[in-house]
Amino acid sequence: MDLSLRENWRVWMLVALLILSTIALFPFGSLLAGGDGASDGPTAVNDTLVNGTDGGVANETYGTQPGGDFTNLDYGLDLAGGTRIRAPFVGVTAEISIAAEEADALERSLASKLGVDPIDVSVTPYQNAPGTVEVFSGDVSPAELEATLQDAGYDPDPETVRDGVTEQTRSEVVDVLTNKINEGGLTGGTVSVISTAGGEEYFAVVEVPGATQSEVERLIGTRGVIEVIAQRRVGNETTSETVLYGEDFTNPGIAQQANPSEGVQRPYVPVSIEPDAARNFTDVMNRLDFSTQGVGNCDYGAATGGDGSYCLVTTLDGEVIYTAPLGDGLAREFRQETFAENPGFVMETGNYSDARQLSISLRVGTMPTNVNLSSGTTYYLQPSLAERFKSLALVTGLVTWLAVSIVVFIRYRRKEIAIPMLATATAEVYLLLGFAASIGLALDLSHIAGFIAVIGTGVDDLVIIADEILQRGEIATGRVFQDRFRKAFWVIGVAAVTTIIAMSPLTVLSLGDLTGFAIVTIVGVLIGVLVTRPAYGDILRNLVLEE
Amino acid sequence: MVEFEVPEVDYTRYSNRQLLAVPLAVLGIALAIIVGAYFLTGTPVTPGVEFTGGTEFHVATEDTQATLQGLAGETAEIRPVGLGGEEYIITVQPDRTEAVESALRNAGYTTGEQCIATGGGTICSISERSAAFGERAQQTALLGVAAAFVGMSILIFVVFRSFVPSIAVVASAFSDIMIPVALMNVFGIKLSLGAVAALLMLIGYSVDSDILLNNHILRRRGGFYESTYRAMRTGVTMTLTSLSAMIVMAIVSRLFGIPLLPDIALILVFGLAADLMNTYMMNVSLLRWYKYEGVAR
Repeated sequence: MDLSLRENWRVWMLVALLILSTIALFPFGSLLAGGDGASDGPTAVNDTLVNGTDGGVANETYGTQPGGDFTNLDYGLDLAGGTRIRAPFVGVTAEISIAAEEADALERSLASKLGVDPIDVSVTPYQNAPGTVEVFSGDVSPAELEATLQDAGYDPDPETVRDGVTEQTRSEVVDVLTNKINEGGLTGGTVSVISTAGGEEYFAVVEVPGATQSEVERLIGTRGVIEVIAQRRVGNETTSETVLYGEDFTNPGIAQQANPSEGVQRPYVPVSIEPDAARNFTDVMNRLDFSTQGVGNCDYGAATGGDGSYCLVTTLDGEVIYTAPLGDGLAREFRQETFAENPGFVMETGNYSDARQLSISLRVGTMPTNVNLSSGTTYYLQPSLAERFKSLALVTGLVTWLAVSIVVFIRYRRKEIAIPMLATATAEVYLLLGFAASIGLALDLSHIAGFIAVIGTGVDDLVIIADEILQRGEIATGRVFQDRFRKAFWVIGVAAVTTIIAMSPLTVLSLGDLTGFAIVTIVGVLIGVLVTRPAYGDILRNLVLEE
Repeated sequence: MVEFEVPEVDYTRYSNRQLLAVPLAVLGIALAIIVGAYFLTGTPVTPGVEFTGGTEFHVATEDTQATLQGLAGETAEIRPVGLGGEEYIITVQPDRTEAVESALRNAGYTTGEQCIATGGGTICSISERSAAFGERAQQTALLGVAAAFVGMSILIFVVFRSFVPSIAVVASAFSDIMIPVALMNVFGIKLSLGAVAALLMLIGYSVDSDILLNNHILRRRGGFYESTYRAMRTGVTMTLTSLSAMIVMAIVSRLFGIPLLPDIALILVFGLAADLMNTYMMNVSLLRWYKYEGVAR
């Protein structure tokens, strides 16, 4: 057989790519080191932050490791189990022209007119583009927002008043959610945004392998809004003022356990406060007498009696997690106005789990808005069932391959045609698996369906090549071969382009599962047309010329 | 050893009209079924959970199907799945999701580690879709199939640059999609995402053999019947290979209770069978007319 590189470069290219696929597919490095190859994938666990300092309290990790077998392949939810939630963003948006200096005032007036928390209104002015107004509370309709803006003297373009939030907000939500999942002990989770075909509506997609639905819902269902409220009661009159928001805190530390023997009475989270916020905090504490009469005097919940009540109330997502008066030392710093110079602060909580929640929320930040879990889709698949799907899908693939083999053998009745044909079709799937492993694609059932589609079109094309090259008649010289090969390739090429065109809408439309299917099919067809199917032509030529 | 040689059809015995009549009649019936379904139900094919919204619970239990029906309520659809006979898929409307989940949990079902029936039953999987999301998915899917079809048609017209051969390919692909959709109505198969994927795959599979036939007849030397036979020998092999693979896959994946794959396989079986008829009856007759009469005009 003639093995020269110039004559058979297609075959050699196939061989080279097969070797590359093998390197991508199998964890050689860790196999040599005797390690477990699966655990050093890109989705390795990172929970040392919490574990390392707590001593004793382990940060639970759930579920299976992606790629939990002897290959580098990652598996998606269908084949690894876990939870996927797709949910729209809560909020309404309008565009108005607004000067930068008016933004804060408009935020405040909108919040009071619409009756929502100030944190739920966001006005973003832009230099050379219309500014955006977003309301995240969920019970304000676009019409209400439009009317309120008009009342306030702004004239939003009706076209721009809509349900939904800005791209900026979406990416902030994704960032916070990603942090939350990683910090919350759910490993290997991913968060992304998909949109409907026309971009009318956007959804956050949260996928967490191995986690149950309720674990994920608990984690992403809240925004992590932290507020410290100064609540004062003088006589029978109670007033509240929010003095600190989540974003005012910097350098949040790890939640610390109570340790009475060392004088630490309660679990706490050490934090610092931004200088501006610290100065404002100082002013309010002095103005409301927290730093004088209020020291040590908090009678939270009581409506009357005593010397009034001066409480600092810490809330997380609207829930009160701790109430306390100002301590002596801090009060002195406020009175002397030295707090802002060294604004260290200890956020105490009633129990350790609250401290942990608080610490996580401080570190990952506040989601500007919620995702609406009730109008999305959720999907939970038990890891053991997923494992079964994985092995049964493999068996299905093998049986299907066997069926193809039988038909091909019966049709050609020559093993020197049939075996390379089946080997080439197999190589195509192998290259695809290598591709999947090298880009870290998480394999799902839809991808398996894509593999089967690729084998299907692949064998079709190989039949075309074989029939074209093996036709009787002229003596098969190199030139005749070239000619026949070109003819066969015209059909294959047009068919391939058709398949790619047919699949391409699915890659951009948000039909969930089908995107993976379409991508695998397109990549498979490309690998087939550019690499494996031409190589099969070369192999057949060698076999024919030998005879 | 089994012999398998593509039979040589004597096309000279049939007129174009005769050849065209069968596939057109089948397409007519298919379209009638689809239009009928549209007028009866408002949709050309009954959409499944993925498009209407709803929740599917995959449970493993020793309870009988009747007991499950009692738990999930009368409106729930329950079908056994997998090999063991102890697993079921319960499909309910979106607003019933929480009620059914708590009914199952109260009856001792847990989301345990293993999908096994013993020990009080297990909820192995919950797949929930809101109605609004489903409706959008339906439009999106329709858009996807339409866009794929239009894209394919444009490409075919650009490649062949003459009307009759191009329309032959496009008509055949159209029929290859419509016949499976009609059969879905007949067999009561609901439209799932897998089915949409299969319909799109059909566009790709269908044009393979059509392009091959066009290419052999229009671009090669040799007589019409000789070219047709050559194209058939290759094309029929191709389609039969795919067909047998899909039949096997449809049976095996359904037995195993794997989601997604059985839908894809079954629809491809319908479509590939339809493609054999459309390519070698409709396309051949259109091309013969074009070759002997159309070109002369």
